[in-house]
Amino acid sequence: MSEKSKTESIIRKLREIMETCAMEELDWSKYGPDSTIESLGLDSLTILDLLYDVEQELGVHLEARDIVSIRNMGEMASLLIDKGA
Amino acid sequence: MPDRSSSRISSPRRVVVTGMGIACALGIEEAVVWKNLMAGKTGIGHLRAFDTTAYKIRIGAEVPEGLIRGKLKELRRRPIDRALDLAVVVAWDALAQANLITREPPWSEQDVAVLYGTGVGSAQSHFNAFSTFFEKGPRGLRPTTVPRCMYNAISAGVSMQFKLTGSNYVVVSACNSAANAMGTAFRMIRDGYAEKVLCGGSDGFFDPFFFGVWNNIGVLSPIEDPAKACRPFARDRRGTVLGEGAGAIVLETLDGASARGARIRGEILGYGESSDASHITRPSGEGQAKAIRRALDDAGLQPREIALINAHGTATHSNDATESQSVRSALGPAADRIPVMANKSYFGHVLGASGILETITTLLALERGMAPPNLNLENPDPACSLNLIGKEPVTINRGPAMKNSFGFGGANGVLIVGPTI
Repeated sequence: MSEKSKTESIIRKLREIMETCAMEELDWSKYGPDSTIESLGLDSLTILDLLYDVEQELGVHLEARDIVSIRNMGEMASLLIDKGA
Repeated sequence: MPDRSSSRISSPRRVVVTGMGIACALGIEEAVVWKNLMAGKTGIGHLRAFDTTAYKIRIGAEVPEGLIRGKLKELRRRPIDRALDLAVVVAWDALAQANLITREPPWSEQDVAVLYGTGVGSAQSHFNAFSTFFEKGPRGLRPTTVPRCMYNAISAGVSMQFKLTGSNYVVVSACNSAANAMGTAFRMIRDGYAEKVLCGGSDGFFDPFFFGVWNNIGVLSPIEDPAKACRPFARDRRGTVLGEGAGAIVLETLDGASARGARIRGEILGYGESSDASHITRPSGEGQAKAIRRALDDAGLQPREIALINAHGTATHSNDATESQSVRSALGPAADRIPVMANKSYFGHVLGASGILETITTLLALERGMAPPNLNLENPDPACSLNLIGKEPVTINRGPAMKNSFGFGGANGVLIVGPTI
């Protein structure tokens, strides 16, 4: 799988995960590599849930500090690929 | 009884209902619920929430599929926990009907307290957490299990959704929970501790564990036909049927409601409570009668002034016989005349929310001067010698009504509600 299609596949998975852990209904189809984490409306508690779901679904363990510097979904996908997703 | 006048503010404030929201097996709009009640149409059916093949009992009263999810979507919320979801939906309707919020956000902060009763709280979240724990061990538990499972997640979620900054808490006293919550809310307003309270109850527990434990306590009806299973006050009653649902009402002072031109749907006239202090599940007629007498005394009413009784009426052998005795003991000869309705054959026993659902149906009945029929009461039990409504609706006199709620743990709560002013 190419780097690009792998990133896209991870983002698709992330969208699915975020859909299950977010409190609000969002139009997830609009969220791509450039979408910022803030625009997803995830608070610190929801991020904990997100990390949990990522670990359960993708088998990758993330600490909260890992995602502090993450600005968008593309960077999140790259981090997950680096961690072995 | 202590002299209450000294503990009250100098002039007791009248407490009125200005908004109502309901979600039960009969529907999620009060007009639909009322229509189904008057048509004698039960909401009890075969459970769809999960596979009940292994269970002794396979019926329950579920909110029609998709309705709550649809409302949450309008609110741009995701389903989180059934009890919380139900609580939010009915709060939305009650607050909007009371004209405290518009249907659409944004909503700004306002000083309204939130009090919900619940029998079992966030049952779905507990079930999910238990399942994960046994499958994955302690490290597999979701980080947000605490805020999902805490009982006050229900009132907190409602408070956050609609930005209600009065106090928020839940009251837990089994099947008496919502009556406790409304009684407490009534006193808060009457005695000057709050101006507006959103109160009610919510329970949503159709999961394999919770339904399983209720299967095994021996109070559920084994009758397989959903339409015939729940038979309050009938000689051939076999037990109750569980239901899910929620209800909420907005309470405020008569003066405040009048000043802002709110539509008044009814009035809370009195509340009485007591504890049996005898047995964890078997009710005591003496304890119940004490709560009834206290409620009448609180409202300053004589038994003959009551126009309607909405019974707890669970359709268990023990409850209905005991309740009949306690009503008769507290009301005396007036019990011969007052029509008695029992709603659980329509939307099941919604545990901690049953008190609010049945208070709303009581208010609807007072508003319309009509009470719906009692289902499955072809053969009333001679041990339940009350003026039970039969299979046809009846007209009722204009006047106050009494709503009984009695819970496991010997928790009794009785509300006296009046028609619109």
